[in-house]
Amino acid sequence: MENHIKDFESAIGELETIVKTLEAGDLSLEQSLQLFERGVQLSRFCHTRLEDAERRIEILSQNGERTAAPETLIPSEDGSEV
Amino acid sequence: MSGPPSLPFGTPAGRTPTREVVTVSELTNRIRGVLESTQGEVWVEGEIANSRLWKTGHLYFTLRDEHTQLKAVMFRSAVRYLRFTPEDGLRVVARGRVTVYAPKGEYQIVCEHLQPQGVGALQVAFDQLKRTLEADGLFEATRKRRLPLLPRQIGVVTSLNGAALQDILKVLARRHPTAHVVICPVRVQGEGAAVQIARGIDQLSRQEGVDVIIVGRGGGSLEDLWAFNEEPVARAIATATVPVISAVGHEIDMTISDLVADSRAATPSAAAEIVVAGRDELLGRVAQLSDRLRATLRDTTRRLVTRVLELDHRPGVAGWPARLAIRGRHAAELTHALTRATRATLATRARRLRGAQLRLEAHEPGRRIEASRTRLVVAGERLGAAIVHRRQRLEGRLGDLTGRLEALSPLGVLARGYAVCWNANRTAIVRDASAVSVGDDVAITLRQGQLTCTVTGKE
Repeated sequence: MENHIKDFESAIGELETIVKTLEAGDLSLEQSLQLFERGVQLSRFCHTRLEDAERRIEILSQNGERTAAPETLIPSEDGSEV
Repeated sequence: MSGPPSLPFGTPAGRTPTREVVTVSELTNRIRGVLESTQGEVWVEGEIANSRLWKTGHLYFTLRDEHTQLKAVMFRSAVRYLRFTPEDGLRVVARGRVTVYAPKGEYQIVCEHLQPQGVGALQVAFDQLKRTLEADGLFEATRKRRLPLLPRQIGVVTSLNGAALQDILKVLARRHPTAHVVICPVRVQGEGAAVQIARGIDQLSRQEGVDVIIVGRGGGSLEDLWAFNEEPVARAIATATVPVISAVGHEIDMTISDLVADSRAATPSAAAEIVVAGRDELLGRVAQLSDRLRATLRDTTRRLVTRVLELDHRPGVAGWPARLAIRGRHAAELTHALTRATRATLATRARRLRGAQLRLEAHEPGRRIEASRTRLVVAGERLGAAIVHRRQRLEGRLGDLTGRLEALSPLGVLARGYAVCWNANRTAIVRDASAVSVGDDVAITLRQGQLTCTVTGKE
């Protein structure tokens, strides 16, 4: 089993396959432990991708440069007006 | 009466026979003068026929009604401002001046403006562009691209000052606080807006990381929203390399860009909701899969525990796994052999002792005999103890093996502080020290985490 995780879509796909295989249930103890471990790894990866990011709002100039948007443009986290 | 021979044209009788003869040009100029001074600017209604746009940019056509035709021309400077294409069959009201085209002796109307009849010019333009794009297949459902479930960066093409941008950012702040947004500021109405919007879409779709684009603006009149009904915007949406969500005006406003876009949102806020909907779905799926994953482990453990309990409740050794039975038999044999060997040893020693005793009695005082007897008793006791001890050890091993069967429940064991020992590439559990050599790597699974170890000794 390869430990590399290509991207989010493939991770969630593999996780789905693993859960289905485990649910089918005709595996040896070694196999189920290995699959479970891989499943936990994938599920952690997915959670990380979904949660771990920093809010960024940028403005793209005509010549393709990005700059941070002025504070006045950014609403507060709860969505109310600044 | 004599006079000059009468000309075939003749002159009215009683008039001075002076004739004014004018040139064609002069007459034409007179007609032009009469026409242009009396008619001035006119509004004329008719149907367009024989329309032809010349390479020079001038438009030539005929205005007609049931019985009559009127030649018409519209110069490039005026054509530029038309929102629609004057097509044959279209009923229009033309504003212009009647003039004479001297080289051909024709009068014609030079149009300054055309206004479609019945529907507005914008509506005509909308219908025309819609027809063209439809023919090009731009509205085909098969062209629509799926929106990314988890966009890395969200591109937004709109005005920096508009309510649309505020609405989008507010929804994102509430629903997806860690969103990464890249804004391409453009004019969304007025001269040049369409070209700017088109360029913005194109520019954003080339940005590394941007994998969905929202293009739009807040509500307004048909005029205000017009840029989103222009061909450059439609073409830019169609050729963008990432999916585009069109969000123009309010619920009821339908624009060409809505028709071409991969997804149409009723409002800018709705567009933001659409973008984060995929993330919500994914969060749900991942949570659900994690739950199911944990459930499968629970089930596996429960199944194994049940099996061990079943084995426990079977009467006698016969029901136990074969290996355990063999070990049991082996232990019994060992016990038997030990007992036999001990008896033989005891018998031999007793015989030798008796011989020694006889010899001692012949030579030595009774004190020595007494000492020997004591030693004999002590040796006998130690031998007995050794046999008992050996039996206890074998019984202990039997119990241990039963315990190990129970211990097959993986989580229970790990939670109690035991560990699973794997071979180096984690393909099998190591049960026997003979399966590994000194210097081999082994992996240990603990309740929390993994260890990689090297075997330094064996027993």
